[in-house]
Amino acid sequence: MKEESRLKNVLQGGHFAVTAECGPPKGADPKAIQKKGKMLKAFVDSVNVTDNQTGVVRLSSLAACALLLKDGLDPVLQMVTRDRNRIALQSDILGASALGIRNILCLSGDHQSFGNQPQAKGVFDIDSMQLIQLVRQMRDKGVILGGERLTEPPHLFVGAVENPFADPFSYRVLRLEKKVAAGAEFIQTQCVYNIVRFKEWMEQAGDCGIPEKVYILGGVTPLKSTRMAEYMSKQVAGMDVPDEIIKRMKSVPADKQREEGIRIAVETIQALKGMKGIHGVHIMAIEWEDVVPQLVEEAGLAPRPTV
Amino acid sequence: MITAERKPLSEIKEMIAPYRKVLVVGCGSCVAECAAGGEKEVGLLASALRMDARTEGRDLEIKEMTLDRQCVYEFIDQLTEFIDQYDVVLSLGCGAGVQAVAEVFPRAIIVPALNTTFVGETKEAGLWVENCRGCGDCKLGFFAAVCPITGCAKGLFNGPCGGSQDGKCEVDPDTPCAWQLIITRLEESGRMNLLDKVYPPADWSKQQGRGPRKIVREDQKI
Amino acid sequence: MDQKSAGLKITIFFCQRIDADQDAHRRPLEKELGSQIRFFPLPCSGRIEPLHLLRALESGADKVYVVTCAEGACRYREGNIRAKKRLAYAQGLIEEIGLAKDHLELIHVLAGTTTTIAQLAEELLAREAFVGPLPVDAPGQERQQRQL
Repeated sequence: MKEESRLKNVLQGGHFAVTAECGPPKGADPKAIQKKGKMLKAFVDSVNVTDNQTGVVRLSSLAACALLLKDGLDPVLQMVTRDRNRIALQSDILGASALGIRNILCLSGDHQSFGNQPQAKGVFDIDSMQLIQLVRQMRDKGVILGGERLTEPPHLFVGAVENPFADPFSYRVLRLEKKVAAGAEFIQTQCVYNIVRFKEWMEQAGDCGIPEKVYILGGVTPLKSTRMAEYMSKQVAGMDVPDEIIKRMKSVPADKQREEGIRIAVETIQALKGMKGIHGVHIMAIEWEDVVPQLVEEAGLAPRPTV
Repeated sequence: MITAERKPLSEIKEMIAPYRKVLVVGCGSCVAECAAGGEKEVGLLASALRMDARTEGRDLEIKEMTLDRQCVYEFIDQLTEFIDQYDVVLSLGCGAGVQAVAEVFPRAIIVPALNTTFVGETKEAGLWVENCRGCGDCKLGFFAAVCPITGCAKGLFNGPCGGSQDGKCEVDPDTPCAWQLIITRLEESGRMNLLDKVYPPADWSKQQGRGPRKIVREDQKI
Repeated sequence: MDQKSAGLKITIFFCQRIDADQDAHRRPLEKELGSQIRFFPLPCSGRIEPLHLLRALESGADKVYVVTCAEGACRYREGNIRAKKRLAYAQGLIEEIGLAKDHLELIHVLAGTTTTIAQLAEELLAREAFVGPLPVDAPGQERQQRQL
């Protein structure tokens, strides 16, 4: 009958999961996404497709997921609440399931003012927490908001994000707990550069018994250059790039910085692998998806298990 | 209070260009408090328009009036004896004032001099900040009297998002993160339990209604 | 040509704290120049409103000065800073109707000066006339009617 989520099977099978983020193109050509899919296929369990990330118009996440699915990948549909109201969101949730997409990641989305449509009306009819609850309700109870029954519920493995590095730090674990209570089954975190702080957060989460209730995948973004490290550190709110990382990037000549970035990312993956309560990694190689196979291999995570 | 800002003079000029006799009508309530449409601003705008007309050698006749409230019939009625003598009414009221005047005098031509912006408070002299969206379903009691719909750029009921840093919002570093404020205040007053539950989606029908919203109070009717 | 000889009409709003005997000091000049000069003493320059400045221009002044005490010397702490901001606002407004902002100008009296308001006015009148007469075709009557 229905295909299961590969990501869910990998995690339930006790394997250390590997997911990668994939940005759809700024155009209608399906080949760009198919190319990325082919390249990633053997090295990751599932591929997240971003939903107009940073408020920039791109090929739709739903369509890109459908293309990846056709090529035999297990896509994770990222869905933000910025652009669509509850009618459109619920409709797309049903559509995704009907196409055979089996994973959804619920987010509020980057604010529209950051993108290329700053004059757009930010919808935010519901928030990410409410979206998690909504997908679970549709799946488990077969009802939409307002209580009307679905003829067939959607079949989706439900994920959420959390940023351990945003403020207020003391509330971050409580918020994670709230997302789990809302129904999140897996969590993909913001990219980790500050292992110490991340570990502290994970310990707090461990004290609350969260890793027993939800699969947590640590986020990893390889740095391309010192400039990127500095930009992430200074310009991106809720991003924690420690000085040591920036220094390390600076210590190598410009043409070796990509290699250094890869080395740091591999070390981060290994550190995450050894961390209690971490069930996998989520690699977000921004506009650099072709580095993913190398990262996965060097981190000793290839080949991926058959499930 | 309802806040507003004056439109650029060029836009105002364009709207009143076809007319010679202009009745400039201010409002002594909200828009006077935010220094956009009170008696002083009526005087300033009228003065500027007069000088402008003279510079260009145009004939322009202006009468200045400021009503205590431009959104209530009893005050609008003060215009009755003058309105027919003017070609156009340039209103320095908020959107409600402009429309109320137009409704009382359906044959008169009314144009706005202000851009009505938000419901807010006077934070300090010269600074007004939005703090209410008139959602029709006030939840300030749960959120330590900080409105997440207005104060949070994403209007989150279950925030903060991942862009909260050092108490500021990622969208605008000059804006405090509403959720940081909510959490700080709830912590300080020992009410963090209010955040245990997931707040359900808002009922926006209370804000959007079916067209314009109405409040009907039989006890207030005459 | 200086402003006096150019026949420019000058209006001076000033903080009366800069000259304890301003009333007596300005009389001779007012007599001599008649409508070419007008003085408006203020208890503090911070009391100036953009509306005063526009009305001054509208009633015939070609050049309007706001004379304040030295920055930091305001008896009411920030009156002269406020005057500066209000003048800037009024300048923006007249620029919107195509007038040069220099028709409005702020003068800070230096700390410790003992200049009388009359000496200061003479000094201002002797300045080069950078702005011409206000290009406002005054329908004389109304210009004179409008009193501040």
